Amino acid sequence: MQGKLVVLFILVLLAFVALSVRLISIARDNGDDFKRRVLSQQSTTAINIPYKRGDILDRKGGKLAYSEKVYNLVVDAYDMNQDGGAHIEPTINAIAKSFPEADADEIKSYVNEYPSSRYKIFLHNLSYDEISVFQKLENREVSKEEEKAKRTIAGVFFEEAYTRKYPYGSLACDIIGFESGAGGVFGLEEYYNDELSGVNGRQYGYINDDSIMERTIKPAEDGHTLVTTIDSNIQSIVEKHIKKFYDTYKDNHRQGAAADNIGVIVMNPNNGEIYAMAGYPVFDLNDPTNLNGVDLTQYMVKDTEETPASGQEGDQTGEVSGNSSSDASENSAPQNNAAAAEYTAVGPDGQVYSMTRQERTDICNRIWRNFCISDSFEPGSVMKPFTVASAIDCGGITGNESYDCGGYLQVGNFQIHCHNRLGDGTLTVKQGIAKSCNVVLMDIAFAMGKDEWLRYNRIFNFGQKTNIDLAGETAASALTFKEDMGKTDLAIASFGQGFNTTMIQMAAGFCSIINGGYYYRPHLVSEIRNSEGAVISEINPRIMKQTISEKTSAQLKEYLEAVVMSDPSECTGWSARPAGYTEGGKTGTAEKAKRDGINYVISFMGYVPADNPEVLCYVVIDRPNHPAQSESTRLATVLNRDIMTEVLPYLNIFPTVELTEEEMEELDASKSEFSENARSLGGETVSGDEAAANQEEGEGQESAPEETEGGTEGAESGADSAEEEGTGVRYDPETGYPLDPATGEVLDPVTLLPINGNTSDIVPIGAGESVAAE
Amino acid sequence: MSDGAGTARVRNANPRQLRRERRKAGAAAKRQRSYMDYGILFIVIFLSCFGLIMIYSITQYSLSMSGLNPRQYLNNQLRSMIFGLFLMLFIGFVMDYRLIQKISTPIFIAALCMIPLVLSPLGRGQVNGASRWLYIFGMSVQPSEIVKGSVIIFTAAMINKRRYLLQSFVGVLTVLATVAGIPAAMLFLITDNMSSAIIVCGIVFFMLFVASKKYWHYVLLGGGAVGAVGLLVYLVRSNVIDAASDFRFARITAWLDPYADSSGVGYQILQSLYSIGSGGIFGKGLGHSIQKMGYIPEAQNDMIFSIICEELGVFTGIAIIFMFMILIWRMMIVASNAVDLYGSMLVVGVMSHLGLQVVINVAVVTNVIPNTGIPLPFISYGGTAMFMFLAEIGIVISVARRIPVEERE
Repeated sequence: MQGKLVVLFILVLLAFVALSVRLISIARDNGDDFKRRVLSQQSTTAINIPYKRGDILDRKGGKLAYSEKVYNLVVDAYDMNQDGGAHIEPTINAIAKSFPEADADEIKSYVNEYPSSRYKIFLHNLSYDEISVFQKLENREVSKEEEKAKRTIAGVFFEEAYTRKYPYGSLACDIIGFESGAGGVFGLEEYYNDELSGVNGRQYGYINDDSIMERTIKPAEDGHTLVTTIDSNIQSIVEKHIKKFYDTYKDNHRQGAAADNIGVIVMNPNNGEIYAMAGYPVFDLNDPTNLNGVDLTQYMVKDTEETPASGQEGDQTGEVSGNSSSDASENSAPQNNAAAAEYTAVGPDGQVYSMTRQERTDICNRIWRNFCISDSFEPGSVMKPFTVASAIDCGGITGNESYDCGGYLQVGNFQIHCHNRLGDGTLTVKQGIAKSCNVVLMDIAFAMGKDEWLRYNRIFNFGQKTNIDLAGETAASALTFKEDMGKTDLAIASFGQGFNTTMIQMAAGFCSIINGGYYYRPHLVSEIRNSEGAVISEINPRIMKQTISEKTSAQLKEYLEAVVMSDPSECTGWSARPAGYTEGGKTGTAEKAKRDGINYVISFMGYVPADNPEVLCYVVIDRPNHPAQSESTRLATVLNRDIMTEVLPYLNIFPTVELTEEEMEELDASKSEFSENARSLGGETVSGDEAAANQEEGEGQESAPEETEGGTEGAESGADSAEEEGTGVRYDPETGYPLDPATGEVLDPVTLLPINGNTSDIVPIGAGESVAAE
Repeated sequence: MSDGAGTARVRNANPRQLRRERRKAGAAAKRQRSYMDYGILFIVIFLSCFGLIMIYSITQYSLSMSGLNPRQYLNNQLRSMIFGLFLMLFIGFVMDYRLIQKISTPIFIAALCMIPLVLSPLGRGQVNGASRWLYIFGMSVQPSEIVKGSVIIFTAAMINKRRYLLQSFVGVLTVLATVAGIPAAMLFLITDNMSSAIIVCGIVFFMLFVASKKYWHYVLLGGGAVGAVGLLVYLVRSNVIDAASDFRFARITAWLDPYADSSGVGYQILQSLYSIGSGGIFGKGLGHSIQKMGYIPEAQNDMIFSIICEELGVFTGIAIIFMFMILIWRMMIVASNAVDLYGSMLVVGVMSHLGLQVVINVAVVTNVIPNTGIPLPFISYGGTAMFMFLAEIGIVISVARRIPVEERE
């Protein structure tokens, strides 16, 4: 029996050994495979926890954009249908009671139709207060009968989400951009999308290194906050004045908006920080596709190069005008467009714009576009300081030269005219700039030569992006002069025609001219903070290069000061000066590519104080609604002055010049003055038309890429010069020539006869024509 | 349970003997003491406690997920374990196993009578199409487990009284037919519980094997059984027998190729293999099983060994097998040293029972044999089985305590 016991034991032992071997072989041979199989049959339900997009702050810490937590109401039809559907009625009643906007019938039919559905969002963007009403109903004590009948609320839950808010609505809309569902679009929102975006969190079960299942919550990583250099106050001052400009000059000369485009950049020339950047029209960032309340006048003009004559018949070409609200709403939709128009938008004055789907998309894209960085144009005379700075810096000229201006310069086969056809006589470099003399500039450009000019063109970053931290910047590199530029090209390039730049390229380059030659990368973000508020990245002003020497810079500042601070008869920019300050700057009047002598881009680049620049303001007005656009540079200088007058005290820049009595009065009445100006302008459209007629006369002869800053300033400026001079004789503010009291035409200072054919001298240019398309 | 009446009578009947035993035990400290196998006691308590931990680890997740008390299964098992330990101590230290011989027939008959009761209103629980439980006083009792115990007692008595029957092959067959055949047939036909029937047959077979001096009887019987099973497997495999006709045949095909029907019959065994394989040598750590979260149905019962391997590794699985090995070894020592044949046969019965269940259970979870529901002794969840195993260990202790031990001094 003992032996049998041992046999039995050995049998069991063998069985055990065999099983142990089997166990080991399973683990060894199939371990990894089975591990995968175990993991693969896991159906882990992961719940998404949304991240919070970072805020965008202005330089004072005010919120330009932030994300707000909201809740989506999600219906779980499967849960609601449990217990024989007893939950449906009380639940839907509770929803209807808590959310008046909810469509109870829709939910009910959905729950009946898709009883196995577990996720369907019915309401978006509910606030916590809104959902707490429902949650109170859900969590209240239920009576015994209800409990028994299962008439409890079930199958509804709230999902967290974030919605983007822009508390200032349309303020700085072009800079900030907006957030679509898929990320930022335009501006800072797009450029800094990666910083602003966080990482969604998840509530999930995951397998750690030891193949252990762990159910955890990985919290969402919130996005970073941007601290920008934008100053909301300066931005709103700028936008206010742009709006005022648009209101004032609307339908001034031709039917339609005050200008095709406008751009204003206010920045610190000493570090490249942008204080403000604005265009027109503005849109509500909270609802960017909603065109209601947006002034679309400038986009409803199909032919942007229209002559005033055709502009008045704008209705035939589908132009929608809005001078009188009631009339406009009735007549606004042109008959031939009525069928095609799928969308309508109501403008701020009640005018109704109708458009097709495609038009609507185009308009949206144009509104969202940031003119200051995305559009290029021929800079005109604002280019002159660049040419002079290059010439002095490379040794082409010393600055002590003087040139003789005979009114034009013969370049090859072309006569390239100065704005003042009579010629300014002998001019120093400084006077040349102050009077914006093309002949002087051409001579200077010839003195330095094409190669040097091109070299400095590159140094000043033309044709390259400034790398400002905004989405959508264009380099306009195809529209710049290359090595193959001819002499004529150089001649017109010297005063900013024939090639394109963007506003930001001009402003950034100009800053380097006036700040000692330091080219700062223009930027809008000074600091990036994490969601806890700790600074994770400080963006210091970055000097990209030294464009010109400090000595040249000092010399240029002297010249630029003369543009604004000289006697009105000796300079072009006197009207830009804010009372009490010294200002330097440069005017610009660039003829548009069609070279018809009618359409111009006018601009002014100014900085204050003249000796030690602290703030720079660049104003560009594309095709102002003015009878004589070539004479309307003053619109830009005045806009510059109005903006500066408000911005300077705000920036604690103190006046250094004693105010004259007139200036005191003017300052006091600064608010009303603008509108008065506007009224006087409106009343004198007739004389404006005359000026336009004059222009047309001269048009047939020539079409040159020409600066024509001389000549008539228009009746409104005449009034101003009179005020300024305090005498009966009025002088043209740009040329200093006396004006005909009756017609406002510029008179020859010697003969006192009207200067005829003073506009649009035609010099056909080779490369310029094709290159200068805007 | 059913033998409660019996034990009560034993207690009342032998006060004198008990006193003598106590006196003897006290004196043994100095002169001569009765043999006490602490190894068996320790391993049994250890395995039972280990089983509690594993049951809690396995069930607490799914219980708490369904809103129940996560310790519900733990508490049930603990209750059975405490009752069982008391019974074990009582049988082992108070009762004389020789008394059992006298009441073995009534116990056997009473146990057999419980089987048909599952068809009465007392047997309510329908599990896998067959009622295998009795509900008495709010407790669920599994008659098959009681039958296994009673068969050991009855067979031991039978061998003790009629050992001569084992001389002839016919006699062996007769004993097998009566002692194993009747309960096995009842279990299989009434409760549709083939695994218990196999265990009963196996216990009796091995008890007879040890009691007999002959080998060829058992080689013949064992070879016949293996051959029959082999033939069945062959027939199922070659589609002579339609596997779909009975779930047992389907289990044979699933055993041959568990991947063939991985979501059906092969599901449980595949999941068990996944558990063992994914656990690796040292496992995922106690409580970190993934498979217990609903992938292995009723993982706390027959498949507990696979979860042990998943959480604590094959290493621990083999360690557990080793523990059982030691337990069986200690029982072998007790059986070979028992003072009488009856005691020896009792221990052999318990040893066979234990060994068979462990081997079959582990073989099932490792897919060495077709799936059949056998719990792992001491560890698997199941009150009656726990209770009966502890009672059987009590018998072993009782037998062991009769072994005279020489003085060590």
